[in-house]
Amino acid sequence: MAVPLSTAPFASSVCADAARFARVAGCLARRCDADVLLPGGSGPAWSAGWAAFAPTDELEVTAATTPDDLKHFAFDKPGLVLGFLGYGFGLHLRGVRSVGSTRERLGHLRRYAASVRFDPVAGRLEWSADEPALAAEVQRALAQADQRTGPLGPLLQGPTGPVTASLGREAYEAAVAETLAHIRAGDVYQLNLSTLLRMPVPAVDPAALFQHLTRQRPAGFQALYRPPGMAVVSSSPERFLQVRDGRVLTQPIKGTLAFERFAAGLVERLRDSPKEDAELSMIVDLLRNDLSPHCTYGSVKVERHKAWFRVGHLLHLYSDVVGELRPDRDALDLLLDALPGGSVTGCPKSTALELIDALEPHDRGVYCGTVLALRGPRELDSSVAIRTAVWHEDRRELSYGAGSGIVVDSDPAREYLETMAKARPFLQWAKR
Amino acid sequence: MRVLLLDNRDSFTRNLEHLLVAAAGADVTISAHPQAADVAAQRWDLVVISPGPGRPCDHPGYGPWIDGGTPLLGVCLGMQILNEHFGGTTEPLPGCVHGRAEPVEFLGRTLRVARYHSLHAATVGSGLEVLARTRSGIVMALRHTERPLLGFQFHPESFLTEDGGSLVHSALCLLGLR
Repeated sequence: MAVPLSTAPFASSVCADAARFARVAGCLARRCDADVLLPGGSGPAWSAGWAAFAPTDELEVTAATTPDDLKHFAFDKPGLVLGFLGYGFGLHLRGVRSVGSTRERLGHLRRYAASVRFDPVAGRLEWSADEPALAAEVQRALAQADQRTGPLGPLLQGPTGPVTASLGREAYEAAVAETLAHIRAGDVYQLNLSTLLRMPVPAVDPAALFQHLTRQRPAGFQALYRPPGMAVVSSSPERFLQVRDGRVLTQPIKGTLAFERFAAGLVERLRDSPKEDAELSMIVDLLRNDLSPHCTYGSVKVERHKAWFRVGHLLHLYSDVVGELRPDRDALDLLLDALPGGSVTGCPKSTALELIDALEPHDRGVYCGTVLALRGPRELDSSVAIRTAVWHEDRRELSYGAGSGIVVDSDPAREYLETMAKARPFLQWAKR
Repeated sequence: MRVLLLDNRDSFTRNLEHLLVAAAGADVTISAHPQAADVAAQRWDLVVISPGPGRPCDHPGYGPWIDGGTPLLGVCLGMQILNEHFGGTTEPLPGCVHGRAEPVEFLGRTLRVARYHSLHAATVGSGLEVLARTRSGIVMALRHTERPLLGFQFHPESFLTEDGGSLVHSALCLLGLR
């Protein structure tokens, strides 16, 4: 059932396709610093697109922020909330370590005075604004979206420095070897090991970076989010959790094949690999577990196993795990207890989180957390924040994490190459 | 039926809870530590020891539960804990098997069951008998010959397991609860 977008005095709706919404969102991102969720790609995608601007309320998430604080912010008033919760906030919720040790932002949420919603199924764009000036901005964006846009300006500004990795090839492969020893000892079955790439960049144009990334690699869960002092530019292919009318859906991705030239046989090669099959199956069982505390008994099911899609130069396997949200629970109960998502931790999760904390020299920050859209207690969509660039104004630095799921038959050299394949867009920016 | 599910910080515990509710209509309580006094003081129809990371020696405190007389099912690590309690040993499983299903003959039926283990019951404790093995001889199920104690090395709660509900039903029969 459609929930009214808002009680805003200025609202309207028009027909639009995905390409037009992308142009409208691009205009609003450039002119009004809008935060944007853009559905795209060939696999799972945001169930609705959003471009929202003129923030009215903000919540800076800290170690002192409780689940109740988040619920008050998100649910006390109707309307859209966008934002992110970092991997570190998930660690904090799981009690893995004191968050005092991280300098990374734990999360940030916002409400807005103006927003545009794109419904890909109905092919409609609905917008609302609290003030005439904001309504005029939306109308200007709608008009400009029909004009041809020029080429993108520079994405990164000023002299940039070389890319450094928290775990270079040798260190990454050594950490994979150490992970394999833990797997053989029975501490974990699977562990997602990442490296964090960093590049000194004096300034960025977040809207241009977002447009470049989404043109280059149109993933299902593209997002641009700009809290003060930061820009999150995400091209994630992976859904974390969706709640719609009480129905819960998660779509974990595991099993990856990098290729230079697509060929039909590649899909069979990926689907028939016992290693990739096991990697996905473990995470499916883990996600079933993570849905179960807040879903009705008997409702948690695997509806599609080993579906596939292609994004850029990568093929991925994923599954649909569904459930019915218990009537006495809300979307944040589910999300906060499942954070960080199982596909970026490993299994069993609590041991995997501790081992990752010991093996990785970096804080994951936004990377491997979640970008989310909430509208009331039982309407949520969220991505796993992978393939995500983060610009830190204070450090004048752009970072990008890339990881790989390590299982007992993983080859360290191959896993390192997989992380580099995932970091390809970032490495290409560095060369521009 | 009141079931106490003792959780070893595992990521499949909630799957086990849902299976016990669906297959046996159980009223399941999950407790994070075997020595928690508030759960020890109550009466349970069945105690279940969850899977979990590490070796049995990393998870002490189960002795009173195993010897307490309440029917008990151990899954994966839980089976290994049961086995070591009676003097059996746990060793690394060459190659490890994680997230794979294979056919195992159990009580006259062949079912595909999910395996997640790096370790296995290398020698079986005194008073225990093996009910199922893989084709290569790895212990997949064992029970005590005189007491209501049962262990599954495989994971009945996995979506990879064929008919997990019937495995719960078999367990309840073997433990004298059906």
